[in-house]
Amino acid sequence: MSAQLKDVIIKPDAPSSLLLDKHADYIAAYGSKKDDYEYTLSEYLRMSGIYWGLTVMDLMDQLQRMNRQEIIDFIKACQHECGGISASIGHDPHLLYTLSAVQILCLYDSVDAIDVDKVVDYVKGLQQEDGSFAGDKWGEIDTRFSFCAVATLALLGKMDTINVGKAVEFVLSCMNFDGGFGCRPGSESHAGQIYCCTGFLSLTGQLHQLNADLLGWWLCERQLPSGGLNGRPEKLPDVCYSWWVLASLKIIGRIHWIDKDKLRRFILACQDEETGGFADRPGDMVDPFHTLFGVAGLSLLGDEQIKAVNPVLCMPEDVLQRVGLRPDLLS
Amino acid sequence: MHGRVKVKTTAQQEEEKRKEREKKLKIYVAARDACFSKRKDAVFDDEALQLTQQLLSSNPDFATLWNYRREILTHLETVKDEDEVQKIYEAELSFLESCLKVNPKSYGSWHHRGWVSARLPRPAWTRELSLCDRCLSLDDRNFHCWDYRRMVVKMSDVPVKQELEFTDRLIGSNFSNYSSWHYRSTLLPLLHPESAERPSQRGDPPHSPSPPCPQTHSHRVCEEQLLKEYELVQNAFFTDPNDQSAWFYYRWLLGRAEREEMISCVYVSREEERVAVAFSRPVNARSGVLLLVLDGQPQRVEWRSVHPHFKHSPVWICDLPPGTISDITNEHNLTVHWTEKHAHRDCALYTGRSESWCRDTATDLELFRSELSVEKTSVLQSELQSVNQLQELEPLNKWCLLTIILLMRALDPLGYEKETLAHFQTLKEVDSMRSAYYGDLCSKFMIENTILKMEYAEVRVFSISDRNLTTLCHLDQLLLVTHINLSSNQLRRLPPQFAMLQCLEVVEADNNSIENLEGVYHLPKLEEVSLKNNQISTPADLQPLASCPKLKRLDLRGNPVTQTANVESELAELLPSVTDLLL
Ligand SMILES: [Zn+2]
Repeated sequence: MSAQLKDVIIKPDAPSSLLLDKHADYIAAYGSKKDDYEYTLSEYLRMSGIYWGLTVMDLMDQLQRMNRQEIIDFIKACQHECGGISASIGHDPHLLYTLSAVQILCLYDSVDAIDVDKVVDYVKGLQQEDGSFAGDKWGEIDTRFSFCAVATLALLGKMDTINVGKAVEFVLSCMNFDGGFGCRPGSESHAGQIYCCTGFLSLTGQLHQLNADLLGWWLCERQLPSGGLNGRPEKLPDVCYSWWVLASLKIIGRIHWIDKDKLRRFILACQDEETGGFADRPGDMVDPFHTLFGVAGLSLLGDEQIKAVNPVLCMPEDVLQRVGLRPDLLS
Repeated sequence: MHGRVKVKTTAQQEEEKRKEREKKLKIYVAARDACFSKRKDAVFDDEALQLTQQLLSSNPDFATLWNYRREILTHLETVKDEDEVQKIYEAELSFLESCLKVNPKSYGSWHHRGWVSARLPRPAWTRELSLCDRCLSLDDRNFHCWDYRRMVVKMSDVPVKQELEFTDRLIGSNFSNYSSWHYRSTLLPLLHPESAERPSQRGDPPHSPSPPCPQTHSHRVCEEQLLKEYELVQNAFFTDPNDQSAWFYYRWLLGRAEREEMISCVYVSREEERVAVAFSRPVNARSGVLLLVLDGQPQRVEWRSVHPHFKHSPVWICDLPPGTISDITNEHNLTVHWTEKHAHRDCALYTGRSESWCRDTATDLELFRSELSVEKTSVLQSELQSVNQLQELEPLNKWCLLTIILLMRALDPLGYEKETLAHFQTLKEVDSMRSAYYGDLCSKFMIENTILKMEYAEVRVFSISDRNLTTLCHLDQLLLVTHINLSSNQLRRLPPQFAMLQCLEVVEADNNSIENLEGVYHLPKLEEVSLKNNQISTPADLQPLASCPKLKRLDLRGNPVTQTANVESELAELLPSVTDLLL
């Protein structure tokens, strides 16, 4: 039995230059299809959807095309009595959307639009005895939520309200034989979780706890001959995983361990020349999620047509400068 | 959205689709609004279960609806008897099974299943375990299912041994299964921990896996089991030499235990009246962590890391109050206590001596090697033979080449240096996408070898020229080095870690591509710096040198900076202590 190498082939006629205008038009138009079936189906993650759209617009310096007031009003309407924020009106609050909402408000320099103290209480209340964070009151535990919690608090300048030591201890207990991290102690390493955990360790000033050489090796082995990166061994390449792997490598100071030119070619090939936007792989349907991670990935690779992106928070560096937040990176 | 191929459609098809979507949207919105309004009215009835079921079957990521179902179910618990509750939850589990069949990667469905299973009046963990078996037989990489399995195993005390046998079966049917190898790596240390006692004398092996602790996780499996694992992995990579899973696992097996946390060196200099302390791991020693006792008196000193860049550092320094140890006719005894670890190290500064140190010599030679018993060494020798055989069949297999390098390092890093370098060269060619990784790894190994040679020679000179170094590491090991020669490599910077070389007097780093000198920072003894033929481009790049009070000689020949106007006067102002400037 031989392991067939899973990868894609980039066609010679695939897009090879960055179609910024088309992407901006695609995102600007996306929010106007509110009566669309697919759009309605994704209501359960709307707040993150807005964060993806706005962040990519800001990275392309097109934020002014979005409806600022409408979005801020929407976020206000999504904050619940408990302080947490939901994906949309009528949905339940969750750490995932609380972080997205705070990120959006930072882009708009309007954090005061919501009750910040209540957000802090909400986040704090979700920390468990072992240091982990539940995503909401129903108790699902995941290192993603540890990241959401500290990222939210870091953006609000309130990190000291939780037990950081315990939180760090829990995340470290999820470290694996390959230097990576999974959802919970014992879970397999996965690029998305690794991004969350390296980001978490950056925000808590604990990057020295990583085995950066071992983790970096696992991460750079995610690059496939097509140039794209996968999220786990033996999986297909994907634009979003390319971001998570690339950002993690940047955080641990080893971004030069992959072939940047090849990755750039892969990301560019995932653009849709007709509609604008990026797909997960060349030839697939585009969406705002992959559009953000495509553009953010190109920014980390040094594309000067795009604003510099911060690898830990996936937000424009100029926004973080305004917030006064400078997450650690290994040199 | 993942894996949705874009299909070209005609206008007519498009119109039909649009109509269909419109219809679906109406149904969906009606059901959603009905759910929301029922919930608002705190209605917990069968109809609500029906409605949420209808929506969740096609959209299991709609988390709020799972929450609503849980509210309904917990309500029903309070009004029904145990048998009825059992039935209701059984029904919930079959609904979930149908959801998971359609969408086996939904976080919401798996979390809900765990929630239901834990609330079932009469739990059925065996059935849950066999559900995992079935699910993993369809997709042996589904990490949601693996995680659910781990929960089931924990809740029902499935013996670790049984789970290890499960991975045996999965790996036996398909070596290319990273998830199973991963699972093994968490189980083995529980079942066969490295221990002075033999596992058979330890009584019952531990049951459900407890969370691995990071400090002990790269740890170790008892030798007897290690040997069996080598054999298993060897079978895997001889069967499919290009499958990365087994190679990753093998590298873990070859790894060494983390170093114990300790003070590895204390250095004291009479002239600078300074103490430097090196640790085996980076620490934050800023406040109250370290206690310095001089001749029986605790000292009030301020500890700082060697460079403002580091909050955590393996090297920390402090200045003693002026005059405390400056008289060369006095003898002094220092002790540094690491209070929270209950560790300490003494150091005596004798009469007539200008400096002194005390360090852990026992670990010096084993720093970079595997911890090998004699038997294991012979096993690794035969491992090397078999991997070499594989390499003859597969001369360009990168996994094989890298593993040979690792085995050689485990066995005899200096003896195999030449072969190691040759293999790295091949690796960079056959896997060019990762050539920078191999370059950095090779640099690390060459630095380790040079440290070993320096230790054998008992000198304080670290010389590693013409070795294609792309990066510097292990600089905390060079605390006592007085002369460093890094010439003719490919270095681009002297990084902040370079400031750990607290005894440094002479730096030679000619013929590199150095453009950044950040780490040449507050080196109290530094006198000579030679940077011929590098990429220093502006006087500002030399700013860090201004913090080295004894710098006398600076050679910048062959750098772009020599071409700037007024360079001489600018440098004279920036570096007044330099008397011998070569441009
Ligand atoms: Zn994706």
